[in-house]
Amino acid sequence: MAITRRQFIRRTGLATAGTVLGPSLFGSPFVRRAFADLGDRYLVVIFLDGGNDGQNTVVPVSNGGGSLRSDYEVYRRAGGGGLRLTPAQLGPTTIGNDPNTGAALALHPGLFGLKQLYDAGQLAVIQGCGYPEYSLSHEEARLIWQSGNPLRITPLSGTGWVGRHLAATYGASQIPGVCISDSIAAEFRQSTTSVLAIQELENFGFPWDGYGDDEAAKSAAFGALHANAAAGSQAAQVFIGNAGTATLNSTSNYPALHSDYENDRGAFSALYADIDRSVAYDLREVAKIIYGVNAGAPGVSARFFHLDNGGYDTHSDQGGATGQQYDLHRELGDSLKVFYDDLADMGAADKVLTVVWSEFSRRIQQNGSGTDHGSQGPMFVIGGPGALNGGVYGNHPNIAGADLENDGNTRYRQTAHAFRSTDFRDVFGTILKHWLNMTQPQILSNILIPDAAAGEYWNLTNGIDLDMGFLP
Amino acid sequence: MGDESSILSEGDARHLLRRAGFSATRKELQQAGIIGSTRGAAADRLLGYKVKPFKPPGNNQRKQHDNLLRNLLVTKIPVQEKLVLFWHDHFATGIAKLLASNFGLATKLMASQSKLLRTFAKGDMRAFVKAMGKDAAMLEFLDTVRNDKFIPNENYARELLELFTLGVYDSAGNENYTQADIVQIARAFTGWRYSRSGKPYLDEGQHDYASEYLAERGPKRIFETRGQIPGGADFDANGEGAAEIDTVVDIIFTHRDTDGRNTVARRTARRLLEFYVGPDPDLALIDAVVDDSGFDTSFDIRALVRAIFCQDAFYETGLPFGPGVTKSVKWPVDFAIGSMRLLGMKFAGSNKYVPGGSYSGAFTHMENMGQILLDPPSVFGWDWETAWLSSSTLLARYNFARDIVGSRGGGRFRPEKLIDFSLTDPAQIVDQVLDALDVGHNFSAADRLVCESYLTDDGSITPDLGNYQYVNKKIHGLFELVMKSPGYQVF
Repeated sequence: MAITRRQFIRRTGLATAGTVLGPSLFGSPFVRRAFADLGDRYLVVIFLDGGNDGQNTVVPVSNGGGSLRSDYEVYRRAGGGGLRLTPAQLGPTTIGNDPNTGAALALHPGLFGLKQLYDAGQLAVIQGCGYPEYSLSHEEARLIWQSGNPLRITPLSGTGWVGRHLAATYGASQIPGVCISDSIAAEFRQSTTSVLAIQELENFGFPWDGYGDDEAAKSAAFGALHANAAAGSQAAQVFIGNAGTATLNSTSNYPALHSDYENDRGAFSALYADIDRSVAYDLREVAKIIYGVNAGAPGVSARFFHLDNGGYDTHSDQGGATGQQYDLHRELGDSLKVFYDDLADMGAADKVLTVVWSEFSRRIQQNGSGTDHGSQGPMFVIGGPGALNGGVYGNHPNIAGADLENDGNTRYRQTAHAFRSTDFRDVFGTILKHWLNMTQPQILSNILIPDAAAGEYWNLTNGIDLDMGFLP
Repeated sequence: MGDESSILSEGDARHLLRRAGFSATRKELQQAGIIGSTRGAAADRLLGYKVKPFKPPGNNQRKQHDNLLRNLLVTKIPVQEKLVLFWHDHFATGIAKLLASNFGLATKLMASQSKLLRTFAKGDMRAFVKAMGKDAAMLEFLDTVRNDKFIPNENYARELLELFTLGVYDSAGNENYTQADIVQIARAFTGWRYSRSGKPYLDEGQHDYASEYLAERGPKRIFETRGQIPGGADFDANGEGAAEIDTVVDIIFTHRDTDGRNTVARRTARRLLEFYVGPDPDLALIDAVVDDSGFDTSFDIRALVRAIFCQDAFYETGLPFGPGVTKSVKWPVDFAIGSMRLLGMKFAGSNKYVPGGSYSGAFTHMENMGQILLDPPSVFGWDWETAWLSSSTLLARYNFARDIVGSRGGGRFRPEKLIDFSLTDPAQIVDQVLDALDVGHNFSAADRLVCESYLTDDGSITPDLGNYQYVNKKIHGLFELVMKSPGYQVF
């Protein structure tokens, strides 16, 4: 596909916006007002790395008015790979019906935690998410989702859709985002605001050479040099003085959130530890930060979080109601259930929205004991009971043999088709519009950019829908 | 008011080396031999380097990147490499897209473009722009290879005007060209392809010939309403086919702005001043360097850069922080390479890791600091100045500094080679450390006091450089502190 560039406005003005905010940044009324406008909200992005098999994540239990279950049986019964999920196995995790065919749907048995959230109105299942001319390369597909940029529009490359939102909303020395990782997730990349990468709050510190235990003296001197700069008369000097101070403060303020949480919420902390898997531990770090920010802990202001989990590239030994994918789903579902119970207990469930995505799905036809890279897959959006319209959104992809691509992949279907697919940008866009309070023109000019000249299906054929309905 | 015959002080000479290259060590200062010579002679000396085309080897992105970075560290002609960085940003081409569209040739095409950048870095800009229009990596990156007579692709034509030559607006705020000009220029580039060996050629069958498209697309004419070219100019004046893209560039280089000044000359001068001096150069300065160099007729880049190196404004950015003093933020590559050059360090192992601390590879350090060479974030290149700095990129710089000073005990950071270990006066030690890191000019008296207090724990201890524990703790610590200081983040 030809790539056409569109006019792109550089937001250079924002890079200096932070310089007007002094070292007492976090107490600044300007910052607080920005948060108040957001309605005191948080966003958590969870990436399932490797291509989660959507065909066994949201599964047809019946045919309804179509043939989804029969088609599922054709492919997942065959081959003897043990992937087939029976109606009996799916019984405890049934959710709503497919909007298109009316087929009864169920989550993978491992997602029992999500089923509980579904029953509480806290889960939106969005089926058939993808984009036209999908990539089946892990790296390329991942970048497409992270950048929100299926057309690889040049000015957007190198930045992420969350990052562009942050750049448009926060100043240079603010720290609105934290990645529970050792690096900044591509979704959060941009050059205007600050995003922290924290693996464990307990060990998040400023990088000092440790010889002689001289950190306190160096830290004091660092603070003094930056205070001198912040009080200076030259723009770049003041900027660096403030930004360095914010950085030093965050490394000294964030670790305390760990002990505060452990002291106050040890019972919940133990629930995450019981799961003993990385999603649980990472969500516990998020919970610690939210607990701190929500309680007004000094010097912390993060609202956006990212975590990822690997292992979804199940070419072999995927398993059915037990096995590899079961373990992964169990980890995700149980962890999110504990996370939202924790949030509810601290009175913050309605303030936190979580979106779960994977770079692609997998083929309906199994290969021996696993599955190969496939096209559209489901996304999950989780929120508090008062902040989300739970339910099933989007159509299940058509898995009837006659409708598959030559390579066995489900087709990306456009507006007029009964099996219309969901452009993943509609999901991100709905979140930007209804959770982060951006206007549609802001979103479409700066954050998720359609490009009509490139034959963009999103706006020309599918119709942009940033009001999918899962958010009030 | 100084000019090309002004005599360079030691401070001026250091500033010139620091800005024209990556570092101004005592040794480099000695070798350059420019203290006491005139600004003009010093500039001639630095810019008189013999062009050394360099094609970063490596058959994957990381290897190629690492080899390029290593070249910046060991090069004997940092002045060329610094200019090449400017042009790399100017003609920003990212390997990521090449890897996606032509995986097998990507590193080879980037290597060829690297050579091209070096060949023309101080040469004739008009010839440079012509060559870049046929560069295989650029043909791929800006979709000229997808530009044909049936549906001309405007991507390269747009960037040629907007980023490589004219800019969207002139100094008076008027538009330099119209969409119609872009559409026409795209016709000139229809059919340009490159062979499997990366050699450009015109596929005549895909080229837009006027005979075929005259009725619907009109004559091959641009700037009918802009550029102060009465009636516009025809880019088939030298014949159709392969000659058109050179003719287009020749026409663009005659474009004049609202003030009647050469548009390419002014914009190029502005960008080079932003690069070598700092943000927002005023128009008088821009016109001065164009007039002094004759760049608006010669398009001789070397002459233009020489004129910049003779300006008061250039040397004034080396003054201490203060009202009216422009400061420019070091690029990540300046921070990393400059530090290692100043400290006399090398990358280690085939993975080019930075010794000490986390033992991270150079690529990881650069990625975290926000600058992967050969892969700028977009055709706009990198965002300069304070856009380089966020908490995460600052932490990446701090990590780099921490790692370097942590390479002790057989490592490569050797403070005893950088400062006089017989010193006991904290003020003198601070002076020498600041001098070794070439940052004395950015440290105020108050900043120096902070450093002295650090060395003495607020006066409670006396520096003892004969004691390895003191050195490991406080001397390593002071180097680390200075590299993390605000003053060290700017030139």
